Formats: sequence, structure tokens, C-alpha cells
Amino acid sequence: MKARGAILCLGIFLLPLLISEPLRAQAADATLSGTVTSPSGAAVPNARVSARNLATGQSTDTQTNATGVYTLPNLLPGDYEVSVSADGFATKVSPATLTAGTNLTLNAGLAAPPAELPNAPSSSRTEPSLQDLGFPAAETQSDASKQALLDKRTHMLKMHQRMGLITTLPLIATVVASLGAGGRDTSSASRDLHVALGGLTGDLYAITAYYAIRAPRVPGTETRGPIRFHKAMAWIHGPGMILTPILGAMAFDQKSNGQKVHGIASAHGPVAIVTAGAFGAALLSMSVKF
Amino acid sequence: MKKNILIALALLLPTLALADGQWVLEECTLTYHVSHPLHQTEGVSHAARGKGTCHAGQCDFLIAVPVKSFDSGDSNRDLHMLQVTRGAEFPMVTVRTHLPESSATSGTLNVDLEIQFAGQTAQYKQVPFKLETRGGETHITGTIPATLSDFRIDPPSLLTMPVKNEIPVRVEMTWRPQ
Repeated sequence: MKARGAILCLGIFLLPLLISEPLRAQAADATLSGTVTSPSGAAVPNARVSARNLATGQSTDTQTNATGVYTLPNLLPGDYEVSVSADGFATKVSPATLTAGTNLTLNAGLAAPPAELPNAPSSSRTEPSLQDLGFPAAETQSDASKQALLDKRTHMLKMHQRMGLITTLPLIATVVASLGAGGRDTSSASRDLHVALGGLTGDLYAITAYYAIRAPRVPGTETRGPIRFHKAMAWIHGPGMILTPILGAMAFDQKSNGQKVHGIASAHGPVAIVTAGAFGAALLSMSVKF
Repeated sequence: MKKNILIALALLLPTLALADGQWVLEECTLTYHVSHPLHQTEGVSHAARGKGTCHAGQCDFLIAVPVKSFDSGDSNRDLHMLQVTRGAEFPMVTVRTHLPESSATSGTLNVDLEIQFAGQTAQYKQVPFKLETRGGETHITGTIPATLSDFRIDPPSLLTMPVKNEIPVRVEMTWRPQ
């Protein structure tokens, strides 16, 4: 029992460390934000905002939202040329200097386009625009809420993947420990170790499953590829992970009472093997191309 | 004298008409390639649309493709790709280039490209493309040497191993004059 207690304590102490996100070095990036308005002071939605870093030549683009607000996070500190353009307005270009870790507000009031002189050269030469290509508006418009949904989904599935890998270690250890737990001449210490490892595996598995089940679904997405096999395996190892400890507890009691494991409890081993096999196959389906 | 002027005009008119012509992207297949220690993955899109407008012998081309149209055969991977490239926030990849119209006859084309993707703009200089004209259509093939860092995309990882920075994009296009 001491061994079981020690391992459970170790697991409890290690768990927060294992599941916590690795601490990433926080880059001292800057943020540029502001509001784009028309000459009448009205907000201009879907205005294109581009910040070009003068040192690297790299541009970062975004669009204003419905209230004319834009935000460009994670910019490197330095001198920028900020260009704001929108259909029906003259493009406005402004300089901006960003310092590390600050949020610079740069509002842009757009002016009406300059009137063409009657005798000016023909302005018929126009570069093709995205509107010329005839994509449905729904395909070309930015959708911040869907991006947030995707970000949350990826975060949760990364945790699911990480926890799944961590769960593999006690799972293997539990299977190995079972070799000394079920035989005729096994000691109670071996059974306790098997139970402790099985308990830890079950806890970690529950956390792994939580992240997969709670990861948001993306509407309109048809499931294709290896993920279908991965999900099919979950229908085997999921119930198996519930059934195995129940049967194990029954077998443990029978064994502790000096009885030979009998009845439904004797299915503990085969169910555990099928469960572990399905878990391993699910892991491999996402890791290696069959 | 009048006859000579008329002949000259008759010869020039088709040239002028062509000079202000347009090109339309008839077919396009774009294929990105991602390398991971455990996987080699390709995502394909046939959803690109494009247009070229020519004036005075100079042409501006625009090609655009929805990020979500790339299909790798794995919906989970495609959604992850959409997330890391901020494809919902910036749903389109656009490629712009400017060419002299006379280049439409040469066999190899070195093109300067401006690509907007994932909220970033990257320039690629002198990217070689093969060009073949058949039956009034122009077929163009080549590979854009794109990288994740060009667009400030964090390399996605599987089993804690990140993918390679290089994501070459194979381009196969058929253009026809309009």
C-alpha cells in the first residue's frame, strides 16, 4: 500500500507540471491599434491596414472591424510605415514608431479621393482587384469569431495530444506491472503497484479525453482521413478504460480474499489488453502514415 | 498616302486591341508540400481564380485562392492548417505580379511575386516558371519557394516535433486571353 500511496502522491505533484503549458519566453512585441474614420467621422469597416517595418521590409496586414477598429499585435519594435486604404477613400500613409511592450494608438481619418482633372491622362488602367475575381463575399471576409474558435480547438487538441503521450507511459508501466500482479504466486505489493499505476493511467486518460471531448467542433467540416480511425478507436478504448478498473477492482478483491479470480472479473486482463491496444492504435494513427 | 495610312492603321489595330486585353485563369492547381520527420504532406486546391489586365504592353496579374480550399485528405490537419495560418481572419491568399506582355511568348519566365497570406506580405524575386502556349491557351508551371517564416507562421508540430520551415508551393495554371 505504501508503494501505491507514494506513486499516487508523485502523480498528484507531477500532474500540474506535466499538463501546464511550457513557459514561453515573452517577446517584447508591440501592438498598433486605432480607429479608421471617414471625413464625416463615421467608422469605416473593412478598411485595409498595412504596417510595413522599414528595417525588415516585412508587412503585417489586417482589416478594420464593423466599428472601424483595427489591431495589429505582435509587431517588432521599430519604425513603420502604416498604410490605410478603403474603397471610396484616398489611401492614407502615416509613419509610426513602436517601442517594446507598448500599445500605440494610431487613428486614421480618411479623405475623399482627389477629383480627376478633366484633361488628365486616362485612368482606365486598373490593376485587377479581389472583387474582380467573383468570389462569394462570405469566402473573402474576415471572421474573427471563427478564428477564435479554431484557436481554442487547436489549443485543446494540443493538450489532448500532449496528455495522450504522457498517459502512454503509465499505461505501459501498468501493463508491465500486471505480469507480476495476476499470477498464482504474486505478492500484494505487486498488485498494489499495478493498482496505483492503473489509477494514475485512468486519471491521465480522463484528462486526455476531456480535452478531446470539449474541443469545439467547427461547423460545416466533414471528418476525413486518419482522424476517422482515431475516433473509431476511442469508441473501443473509452468504454475499455471505464470497464477495466471495475473488473480490476473485482479481481483485486477476489485475489485479496485468497480466491482465484473467477467470473466476470477474469475478463479484466483481456479487456485491458484490447483497451491498451486500441489506445496505441489511436496514437499511431495520428503519428504514422499507414 | 491615304492608302498607306489605312494599311498602317489596319496593321496596328489588332496590336492595340491586344495591348489593352485581359487574361483569365482557366484552370489552376496549387499544391503545398509540408515535411515532418514522420509525415510528408501535400495539400491541393483547385479553387484559385485569376485575372490579368494589360495596358500599353504591361500586364498586371492577380491570382487569389481561399485558404480553406486546400485539401490534404485529412480534415483534422486542414483545420489545424487553417488555424496556424489564421485562415479565418485572413481567408484569402493573393498573388500579384507585373509582367511585360511580350513575355507571354518566352519558354521560361522569371517572375517577381508579391504574396499576401496570413496577414503578411512577402516578395519573391525572379521565381522561374515554365511557359507553354497551346491552342490559344498558355500553360504555366513552377514552384514558389515559400517558407513559414516569410509569413511569420509558427511551425505546427506533431509529437513535439515541428514541421520544416520550407513549404514549397507547386503551381500549374492555364490562362487564356479574353
